[in-house]
Amino acid sequence: MGDMSILVGQEQGNVAVTVLKIEGDIDASTFKDLQDKAAELVEEGASNILLDMADVKYMGSAGFRAIHAIANMLNKEHEEGMYKSKHVKLLNPHGEVARVIKTLGFDSFLEIYEDRNAAIASF
Amino acid sequence: MKPDSKIEILKNCSFLSGAENHILSALADATHNLEIAGGETVVAKGDSGSTMFFIASGKVRVHDGEVVLATLGTGEVFGEMAVLDADVRSASVTAETETLLLSLERDDLWQTISQSSEALKTIIVSVLQRERSIVHDVTTRTAQVQAFEKELEIGRRIQADFLPEYVPEVENWEITSYFEAAREVAGDFYDLFELEPGKQLAVVIGDVCDKGVGAALFMTLFRSLIRASCQYSALNPDIGKAADGSRDHISRILQTGIDFTNHYISTTHSKSSMFASLFFGVLDPQSGELVYANAGHESPIIIRSGGGHDILEVTGGIVGLFPFATFSIATEQLNPGDLLLSYTDGVNEAKNENGDQFTEERILKTAISGWKNSEDLLNRLLDEIYTFRGDAAQSDDITVLILHNLVVD
Repeated sequence: MGDMSILVGQEQGNVAVTVLKIEGDIDASTFKDLQDKAAELVEEGASNILLDMADVKYMGSAGFRAIHAIANMLNKEHEEGMYKSKHVKLLNPHGEVARVIKTLGFDSFLEIYEDRNAAIASF
Repeated sequence: MKPDSKIEILKNCSFLSGAENHILSALADATHNLEIAGGETVVAKGDSGSTMFFIASGKVRVHDGEVVLATLGTGEVFGEMAVLDADVRSASVTAETETLLLSLERDDLWQTISQSSEALKTIIVSVLQRERSIVHDVTTRTAQVQAFEKELEIGRRIQADFLPEYVPEVENWEITSYFEAAREVAGDFYDLFELEPGKQLAVVIGDVCDKGVGAALFMTLFRSLIRASCQYSALNPDIGKAADGSRDHISRILQTGIDFTNHYISTTHSKSSMFASLFFGVLDPQSGELVYANAGHESPIIIRSGGGHDILEVTGGIVGLFPFATFSIATEQLNPGDLLLSYTDGVNEAKNENGDQFTEERILKTAISGWKNSEDLLNRLLDEIYTFRGDAAQSDDITVLILHNLVVD
């Protein structure tokens, strides 16, 4: 089972964006920490979350479930079941993580950015 | 704390309930006050310790890591086991609230208590009572565990009923399946059913995310929705303009099945964030044509009879999360002698003791190793996995489904 840490940052684009820089593995033993951290931030008022994946080495199905759950937390009622989440986006997934995102089709439902500023400006 | 209050606390403590006043008074003199803030750990499991504690006020929890064994309050004691038998601490104790303790050293306890046979007797009885209570707890918990195990066994048997009871006999085709759950209940599944008797054969292999009971519940849902929607639409001429078994007609049935299943689960069960990867094909046993969708699943391999192989890459993402997901349909031809090998990630991600994975490369190497028939290929593949895994435990469900065209060209 892997280790994971989350560093939280605040950025101001068109709107306030909370950036979660994730390091390590998002697997069955760590996904809950990510989900709980996001829930805590949403509780405190965060409404746009950018997940910085540059230092994520592995993401299993539990990680994908967590991201879906986070998008669910931030979906407004009228956005239920919308095409791409307006409130959760990914920054810089790479290697095996990027490959799995594509295989599972998550790239069709999450906006993925390579440039941090562009990602923040997109919200 | 005044000596009188200390005596009062010790007197009300069942651990010393029979001790005479002069003994209590001597013990009270030997105790020290200890104020503990909420959250502070007083003793840690595995440490050696020569101090026992009487709770004057407040609340503590006795725990082993995250597992709470007991909560103790005013008038109760802890740490007495390590004091009496001089072994290490058997559990940790952490204050739940601000807590006031009286601490007593082993030597002081023995020195004082050995002067009173009544006090010694009380301590022995107190320790035995605690042992009886532990035996009672263990008995109750064992009965509970056995009841849960029985429930799980019922669940396992019911789930087995969601896998095909038998592999359909299809003329000129050899069909071999294998299913091995990592736990009592599984998230993997496969299905084989005829759209109409004697006609096209639907072939499904799937892996619901997560493991255990949650995955098993969703496995029954995915399997049932796919089977029900396909069999219904095969009988329903409205699904296609021509219910003639043509490629278009089969594609529409397959598309309806996967779209319906995805839409139902992603809207009705959105809060669970549960999904499945699926390979879902419909085989025309006469022509060998395979119409399929690969929804985020491990790519099946077609081994060609004349040598070479083809990989059936994904045609779309996973099923069950996104209501607007679209699933493309593709077509392949299984010619005489060709074989289709499909599997779940319990195969390619089987791990050895170093944590290395079995990988697609090893599957492919086995798939082109000159097997005699599909049963032989399955056995070779399982042998390879078990040898690779060594003493490492099975970490995920393993499912394999093989279709072999027996027509001789």
